[in-house]
Amino acid sequence: MTIPSFILKNALRNKRRATLSVLSVAVSLFLLVTLLVALRELTLPAEDAGAELRVAVRNKISIANLLPARQRATIARIPGVAAVTPFTWFGGKYKNEESMTFAQFAMDPKELRTVFGEAKMSEESYTAFEAERTACVIGKMSAEKFKLQVGDKIALESTVYPVTMEFKIVGIYSGTPDDRNMLFRQDYLDEASGIPGQVGMWWLKVKSAEEMPRVLEAINQAFENTSAEVRAETERAFQLGFISMWGNIKLLVTLISSAVVFTLLLVTASTMSMAIRERFRELAILKAIGFRRRELFAFILAESFVLAATGALVGVGGAWALFTYGNISTLTNGLFPMFEVTPKIIGIGCLVAAMLGIVASIMPSLAVARMSVVEGLKSLD
Amino acid sequence: MTANGNIVTIRNLTKLYAQGEIQVTALDNISLTIAAREFLTLMGPSGSGKSTLLHIIAGIDRPTSGECQVQGIDVAQLNESQLADWRNQNVGFVFQTFNLIPVLTAFENVELPLLLTRLGRAERRKQVELALDLVGLADRAKHLPRQLSGGQEQRVAIARALVTDPALVVADEPTGNLDSHSAQDVLKVLQALSTDAGKTVIMVTHDPKAAAFGSRSIHLEKGELTN
Amino acid sequence: MALPVTYNVRNVLVRWRATAATILGVGLVVTVYILMQAMAAGLERSSANTGDPRNLMIVRKGSTAESSSQVSREQLNTIQYWPQVERDAAGRPLVSGDLVVIMNLPRRDGTGEANVTMRGITPMGVTLRPQVKLVNGRWFTPGQREVVVSRKMAQRFANCEPGQKFKTGGSVLTVVGWFDGGDSAFDSEMWMDADEARAIFDRENYSSLLVRVADTNAAAGLMQRIESDKRLPLRADFETKYYATQTTTALPIKMLGSLLATAMSIGAVFAAMNTMYASVGSRTREIGTLRVLGFRRRTVLASFIIEGAILAGIGGLLGCLVALSAQYLCVAFGVRFGTLSFNTFSEVIFQFRITPFLIMKGMLFAVLVGILGSLFPAIRAARLPVIAALKSV
Repeated sequence: MTIPSFILKNALRNKRRATLSVLSVAVSLFLLVTLLVALRELTLPAEDAGAELRVAVRNKISIANLLPARQRATIARIPGVAAVTPFTWFGGKYKNEESMTFAQFAMDPKELRTVFGEAKMSEESYTAFEAERTACVIGKMSAEKFKLQVGDKIALESTVYPVTMEFKIVGIYSGTPDDRNMLFRQDYLDEASGIPGQVGMWWLKVKSAEEMPRVLEAINQAFENTSAEVRAETERAFQLGFISMWGNIKLLVTLISSAVVFTLLLVTASTMSMAIRERFRELAILKAIGFRRRELFAFILAESFVLAATGALVGVGGAWALFTYGNISTLTNGLFPMFEVTPKIIGIGCLVAAMLGIVASIMPSLAVARMSVVEGLKSLD
Repeated sequence: MTANGNIVTIRNLTKLYAQGEIQVTALDNISLTIAAREFLTLMGPSGSGKSTLLHIIAGIDRPTSGECQVQGIDVAQLNESQLADWRNQNVGFVFQTFNLIPVLTAFENVELPLLLTRLGRAERRKQVELALDLVGLADRAKHLPRQLSGGQEQRVAIARALVTDPALVVADEPTGNLDSHSAQDVLKVLQALSTDAGKTVIMVTHDPKAAAFGSRSIHLEKGELTN
Repeated sequence: MALPVTYNVRNVLVRWRATAATILGVGLVVTVYILMQAMAAGLERSSANTGDPRNLMIVRKGSTAESSSQVSREQLNTIQYWPQVERDAAGRPLVSGDLVVIMNLPRRDGTGEANVTMRGITPMGVTLRPQVKLVNGRWFTPGQREVVVSRKMAQRFANCEPGQKFKTGGSVLTVVGWFDGGDSAFDSEMWMDADEARAIFDRENYSSLLVRVADTNAAAGLMQRIESDKRLPLRADFETKYYATQTTTALPIKMLGSLLATAMSIGAVFAAMNTMYASVGSRTREIGTLRVLGFRRRTVLASFIIEGAILAGIGGLLGCLVALSAQYLCVAFGVRFGTLSFNTFSEVIFQFRITPFLIMKGMLFAVLVGILGSLFPAIRAARLPVIAALKSV
């Protein structure tokens, strides 16, 4: 028998106890990883290949206020602007769904490639989108969810405009961080709603990063003191603004969640140390046959580490496998499109497990230090 | 009680244990009768089967073959629940290690078996006080086990065995964990049970001095009666 | 016959060192469950508590929120002279044309901006909403660029003290007073004169009409008339009903709360199991003794399950206590929560709301964890052979 095999045998001596300890470590760490991933996704906008050169322009009052279509020419003339497209929220309800299931925006089909270049689609789809007035393209995730294919016709009832419009799907795109939106043509919306001359927002592409500050400044100034003042900001700033609207509820959830994980870990540490304390008699025997305190501490620490590490493997590994191979986007109804377990989060999980191993071994170690051999031999098995 | 005045009748009792791969014969074809109001002591070395015999008579273990009638009832034929009720009504058990419930007071420990009867609260109190009085511990009713000495604990355990007024009181090494002075007290109480209270007492012991308190003594060796 | 409950209670207390962690764990599960559900309940109440049962709200057919609805001035003029519409003492119809605009305002604590609902109301708007009371300053003067802000809103957004000004839509608005919405959705709004608002925000139409009707007959009549009139693409419904359906914002919180509670309760069940197994293990002799005394298997089983339930029940009580004190502290220090409402697309302000029903649910949750956690240990206890009383030294 070797020392490691002795430790392993010890840890597994009470199989039920060991299993329960490992499982509660695993549940705690699973929860920790899940919360970390969810919080990261809520607080960080998705990184995006084309984002750093993209600009969002909205009405200064709020995003819910429209902008006049005539602003486009002014924006397009500003030096450094590569392309500009309207981007209008349609708020359509698909079929008889209770609420909006995916977002739809009206835009200029010719600028899809220039402003949202990361959306990958076949050449035919681009051509068709530019050619057909009722054409629309839809993100891969939504297409899969609603089993939509190129050539299908869909009707959407707007909650913003007093119309129901019918569209023909000409393309399914992928490659954006969140492949869910449906895009269709602004000119079709203008015609169907009978309210031309208004758009929701402008999205534009700037030629280079150096020109970005100047372009933002120029757009903001261009419409100052007009009936529709605008706010131009980088895509990232725009998304961060959205996140700020979550309000302090995020802080609250973070607070509650941290308390939860912390206490769960404490509880787990306590049950684990109970498992080790139960074997006082054995430790006393070891002491009697000549093991020194230092070696007993090492035993206890090693055993508690084995339990914690197994728990981490099951909990963190389980979370990673589930979130990487499971379809979280569908499960959460699209609330969390990515749900990515980053190496940093895995690292935090493992670090917490290691700390758990140490904390759980403190109490029994202290008890062992104080224990006399005779007393230990008398204690219940 | 059967007509011939015997409270326990044992015929051809055998008990086999499986100890790992090996089969051990704890009791080998034993026949024995025990009369009412006897104070019988079972003696023998460790592993002689004396405790096993006691357990079978008390209905906490079952024989492999043979018959063990207590007050005319073949204990081996009862199922688990019937056996539980039977034990409650007919047998009082005294353990070597007292086995009091640590979180209950002396009074509550003694009252415990009465909770299985239909007695009302006042009636229970009367019986518990009577039993505690009998073992000389009426003044310790409110004490928790850890506040009592070993001899006192064992006397509380005897009171608990008595409280349902069973015909049979069995004791397994009741003095094994006691000093000689406390042991004397306990043995005197057990003796008084058979002489004054009319109980049949069966006690396992390996101490000849303890056995001297009994009215009859039998010896076991390797699962067989030797006298 | 069962073992006395005091036996179980004392056992839980005597082993407090071993049981403390489990009690704490169960307590925390209950705290989190109650607080999360209380948040959802608070959010739901802020909309469910809104409106006057005598009012009808009229919006454009097909629109789900006031902010995306449009009602023209002609439609207002048509409807306000209908006989079903109540009139005040002076004979004026009790109708308000409302304009709902979402504005972006900076937060008071400098943590960015959020959307805020600005409601423009015509003179009857205040009369029609008796829930709303002025608590500071005065109401706005019609024709002036003045706003009255909900007190709870003013505590969260910059430049909302009476006398302060802020700029929106190229115009400067002066705050002249605060109102209290009585824990309704109006607590998340700012009010000003509807026609001034239409001018500032460049809107031709109103968003909705609020109409007082005499009785349910008149209400039914008005709804019927709007429904059958093909020239009016509008829809009328009770104001209370409109707000009562605006509860989808609470859904993600409810979901998150349930998810957290479920995952945590699994952990708590493990903890309870560990504790109860340890308890059974160290009481082997005691259990055997009980069986020797004549207690049946199922009595022992029930006793240990009851013990688990008591253990978790104590945790549950602790959890309720913590949740209630959290609520008390929030109320005492005036802490309020705000988040983006999916219905109005603007900030909604709410408070924890712990109902007796929630407490009951939390306790039930705890006891369930206790029972689940003690089931297997209890079965093990019941299965111990009677002879264990003598063997285990």
